[in-house]
Amino acid sequence: MAIEIVMPRLGWNMEVGTVVEWLKQDGDRVNAGEYLFMVESDKSISEVEALDSGTLRIPGNALRMGEELPVGTVLAYLVQDDEAAPPTGGNDAPAPAASPAQTAPAPVAPVAAAPASAERATNAEQDRVRRRRSPVASPRAIRIATALGVDWTKLTGSSRSGRIVEQDIREAFARQGAAASGKPADAAPVAVASTAPPAPSPAAIPLSPMRRTIAERMARSAHTAAAVTLTTEADASALVRVRADLAAALLARGDTRPMYNDFFVRLVAVALRDFPELNASLTDEGIVRHEALHIGLAVDTERGLLVPVLRDVQDKSVQTIAGEAAVLIAAARAGKTPQADLQGGTFTITNLGMYEIDAFTPIINPPQCAILGIGRIVARPVVIDEETEAVAVRKMVVLSLTFDHRLVDGGPAARFLQRIKQYVEQPIVWLTA
Amino acid sequence: MRELTYTAAALEGLAEEMERDPLTFVVGEGIGARGGNFGTTVGLYERFGPARLRDTPISERGFTGMCTGAAMTGTRPIVDFMFVDFGLDALGELLNQTAKIQYMSDGRLTMPIVLRGCIGIGNSAATHHSGSYYSIFSHFPGFHVVVPTTPYDAKGLLKTAIRSNDPVVFLEHRAVLNLKGPVPEEEYLIPFGQARIAREGCDATVVAIGGMVPRTLAACETLAAEGCSIEVIDPRTLAPLDIDTILASVNKTGRLLVVDEDYGPCGVAGEIGMQVMERGFDDLDAPVTRLTGAQAPVPYSAPLETAITPDTPAIERAIRDLLTA
Repeated sequence: MAIEIVMPRLGWNMEVGTVVEWLKQDGDRVNAGEYLFMVESDKSISEVEALDSGTLRIPGNALRMGEELPVGTVLAYLVQDDEAAPPTGGNDAPAPAASPAQTAPAPVAPVAAAPASAERATNAEQDRVRRRRSPVASPRAIRIATALGVDWTKLTGSSRSGRIVEQDIREAFARQGAAASGKPADAAPVAVASTAPPAPSPAAIPLSPMRRTIAERMARSAHTAAAVTLTTEADASALVRVRADLAAALLARGDTRPMYNDFFVRLVAVALRDFPELNASLTDEGIVRHEALHIGLAVDTERGLLVPVLRDVQDKSVQTIAGEAAVLIAAARAGKTPQADLQGGTFTITNLGMYEIDAFTPIINPPQCAILGIGRIVARPVVIDEETEAVAVRKMVVLSLTFDHRLVDGGPAARFLQRIKQYVEQPIVWLTA
Repeated sequence: MRELTYTAAALEGLAEEMERDPLTFVVGEGIGARGGNFGTTVGLYERFGPARLRDTPISERGFTGMCTGAAMTGTRPIVDFMFVDFGLDALGELLNQTAKIQYMSDGRLTMPIVLRGCIGIGNSAATHHSGSYYSIFSHFPGFHVVVPTTPYDAKGLLKTAIRSNDPVVFLEHRAVLNLKGPVPEEEYLIPFGQARIAREGCDATVVAIGGMVPRTLAACETLAAEGCSIEVIDPRTLAPLDIDTILASVNKTGRLLVVDEDYGPCGVAGEIGMQVMERGFDDLDAPVTRLTGAQAPVPYSAPLETAITPDTPAIERAIRDLLTA
């Protein structure tokens, strides 16, 4: 369809502008990004570039040069090779100027020609049909479904109009609980479901928005994921040495000192290359394996748990990761994490080693498939040779991997954890990988 | 506790305030020796004399303007319009002077005036004696708008109205004037902007205005027998409106019906529904609905009058609809 070239609004106050020169001529082939014409508004003269490619068609051959025109006035068209000229095109009369009352910015895709509006109408109709087909839920139902971790899109609404209402969500939740516990739905406890909740105890602390979000996400994870946690112990002595060496070198250069987490991020990235099934999400359409690897770091802050996300770690060195992680963690602790930094993670790492925790059962950060918990690195006596019964003191770490059994089976998850263990024990392999 | 009718309770409140403050006085048609068309001043003429119970000719604009001037000097006039429909003749004074004088004087003048009158449809009173008009007074800045529905509220809110230094429109629905209810002997006042939860429930919220409150409560009795638990809120004052109480109830029930005898378009029911949509959207399990009077002049014919007014069966139907909506 022909793309309209309109008088642009170059500033908030601009109502009219004047084309002082066309930089392309009628019939010229134009590529997106090339300058089309110069426009003069009250403050300045600016070049206006093409946002699309095509053949330029100026009705009335630049008749409008030098004339003050309202913002939004159609000046020309870009047409494609296989396309007829626009109805007003060629050397016909100029396109009608926008009416004086219509000084609002031009619509993004103005209705240029009859075919375009017909196409739009069809789309709108399809939209309506699609909306009619897809289930509709009340705002309250959606809110409660989110809190309880119920997938309302698969439910049938019980209201007269077919809208899914609170009761449908609660019944679905009770069925979920019953299915999980093997009890009949009626017997399933519906803790959050009472419509007349007991009066809150005066000592109850109201949920902050952040706490509420954490509660909803954790409950959703616990209610929906088929979570299994595997633990293994790895000899981190080599990793400790590598980190000490690298830290000393980087510190000498004034770079950020890498934390153990930064090494774990890197080695998880390398391991996930061979286990894409763990870098995945379960969606309505099925299991989506993510190309990119965005790793969330669980950060304990005064306000609560935050999980800022390191982007594209598959392409990053430990050193780069260390620098970026330091910035993310500082922002999280200061309560200044932008919302965008909390979204899009594909795998999460959580570390409780600093609190002398060894093994634990991390909760998956939905819709991710898995989360790796890292325990403390601690010196222990370890049998290093069964034959000779030789024992040595080694720096050991327990790794806890929680994965969603709906997406991946125990075998691959165990092999993935084993791979991480191997990498921890031979860091040179993955550092140079 | 003793029981009084709505009118007797309000009368008692008025007498107490007249006793308390010699600057209070009542102006209106037939409010002197006659004691008011609705008995609003029975016995006060004998007690406080003709200077403080001032009968007037049929000249609403004139006496409303004079009372506005009197209030500017610091006295506390109570203008008794009988039917508030008659106050329309004084609307220019009310909206342009009474409601604006504090603003225009930069707060140097106060406007301690009460404008009271009977509202509501019933008894074949026909179209000149049946209006509600509270949407008008709630729309413009400057008025408190009070619509009590119980004897207790009538007395407590009238006393607050008389002591207020702002103009107060005090509207008494004809359907509640003879209802009896408990009224304590000891003095009390009820602040503006506090809704009353007339009935507690958890399946749906009904906000009922003025004369719709007793009808809604009657409908809820029937529904309760079937296990439906309906919360009924009487806003008591429409300006200021206690939207927080309504929102808290909708948070509990997820469903809201507003029952208002007044006309629907641009009315208080629409205003309440809109505020709930703006602030309580995520609590809503069904669209907010309203049941209002038909937008027509009120007919004299009793069957037609019934047909255009929300009655108890209509309210019951509307609640049933809401519960399955």
